[in-house]
Amino acid sequence: MGLRRRLNEVECVFRIHLARLRVEAGPFILAALIFPTAIYLFAQAIGNTTGQSEQQTRFLAGSITFSISLTSISWLGYLLLENRFTGRLKLFATSPLAPSSYLFGILTFALAQTALGTSALLIVARFFGIDLKLSPLPFIVAIGLGALCLCGLSVVVATRARSFSEGSLLTDALGAGLVFLAPVYYRAEVLPRLMRPIAEWLPTACVERAILCALRGDEAPMADFLALFAMTGIALALGVRSLRWTED
Amino acid sequence: MATMIEMMTEERARRRTDDGAALAVRIRELTKRFKDGTVANDRIRFDVRCGEILSILGPNGAGKTTLLRQLSTELRPTSGTIEVFGLDAISSPQAVKSLMGIVPQEAGLFDALRVAEHLTLFARLKGQGTGEAQRTALELARKLDLEREMTKRVGTLSGGQKRRLLIGLAFIGKPPLLLLDEPTTGLDPDSRRVVWRAIKEAQAEGATVILSTHYMEEAEHLSDRIAIICEGRLAAFGTLADLSERVTRSYRVSYRDPRDAQRSCIRHFATLSDAQAHVTRLRLNEYQIARASLEDIYFQITGKPFISADGESYVERR
Repeated sequence: MGLRRRLNEVECVFRIHLARLRVEAGPFILAALIFPTAIYLFAQAIGNTTGQSEQQTRFLAGSITFSISLTSISWLGYLLLENRFTGRLKLFATSPLAPSSYLFGILTFALAQTALGTSALLIVARFFGIDLKLSPLPFIVAIGLGALCLCGLSVVVATRARSFSEGSLLTDALGAGLVFLAPVYYRAEVLPRLMRPIAEWLPTACVERAILCALRGDEAPMADFLALFAMTGIALALGVRSLRWTED
Repeated sequence: MATMIEMMTEERARRRTDDGAALAVRIRELTKRFKDGTVANDRIRFDVRCGEILSILGPNGAGKTTLLRQLSTELRPTSGTIEVFGLDAISSPQAVKSLMGIVPQEAGLFDALRVAEHLTLFARLKGQGTGEAQRTALELARKLDLEREMTKRVGTLSGGQKRRLLIGLAFIGKPPLLLLDEPTTGLDPDSRRVVWRAIKEAQAEGATVILSTHYMEEAEHLSDRIAIICEGRLAAFGTLADLSERVTRSYRVSYRDPRDAQRSCIRHFATLSDAQAHVTRLRLNEYQIARASLEDIYFQITGKPFISADGESYVERR
């Protein structure tokens, strides 16, 4: 199949889903802001770090990670489950469309959602007076890789869930769990010793470290980028594998 | 796409049904056994001619949808073969799907899209350019009586309008094979007529149509041939005349039970004189004698009453 045809398919899938965002943009931005901002303020209050620029930036990186996790796992998962269990997926499955075109269209949509949520949080950061020395390229790469990796997980869960409620429960648990089990809002040292190596290399932990460096204008953490790159590759490969048009 | 149609035309020229007609679909020994052991389709075998309308008739759970899902490549058969215009549907699902327009039974639409967007975007997904897709959308909206709804969001449409839109999506690009799984279930009579007209037009333009239905009237009105499926097996296959010939009792007497006026009775007889003799024997005042209809044929072939989608039994077991 020609690249042009494939790109056209991806664009159509993206636009079909974008229509929903067009209708629900207000609630989406509100939800994408409320949760991460609330957690940011909560973390600041608990950590008693008001005015400490270092901690503020760290909590902002945590909140951006939380926002990515919400949009890429929980909300994308919901969308995929809705497509699957309300019969919308059948419209794609019964058309001459490759499953990977559907997947890439959905991923493009998830990236657009992530970009919207992250931009909104950066605006809020200005409002809170957080001092940022943003390095745009590492920041965009960290966000993009993080979102794609978490989207891959979401696709796997949504395609394997036996029911809407089971899938919804799992994507919600993963969306929040991967943020709070990783040392995103706290230091790894507070975790039980056995959990530390796992928690420190959860995708959300890598994303948070990469975002934090980008927000501070520090050099990009290559180990985190490499780990994220590998995890994204695996998650997307699993996602592509689990999405099939023909059932057994 | 052009290559596919050329390939299909070549295949059409070569492949023939047993009676010499051009072959659209060939199904051989098709069996679907689910993991729980249920055999939904059992060694089904038939050919579909190019340009004909074939109705697959059977009550809920007969195996119609499973058959259509296998034909549409959505479900992998346990055994057997499916050929669509000479292509193996099991090994080349994408190629086969490019020749089909499919209306799945429980497909959902994207409520946030407007009707025009829905048709245009799915036309583009089927490989049409933007201008062509817009023209297709208009043409289909006209055909399916959705012109006034073009700017409305899908979520605001009635159930019948949504069903017609789904059918419109299957008609995009004038595919040579249409697979319609209960296309008119839940539609009001007017909408049903619009859909029937669109199906007949598609046939007139050369399409082969395979549809499943709960409605006897629909099968009688639309079909060139009918496949009766009962408990996963192909119980009968042929034109209405072929099927009528298979039944020995082709006269139907319907009347109220003289001992219980609340109970309606239907009896079948081989000849008109047998039917009249029954009326005389029971001293019936109110009765109707008619040639056996499709539901009578269904009853006599399968030995089971036909239960419609609405739960109505067409022919009561005596």
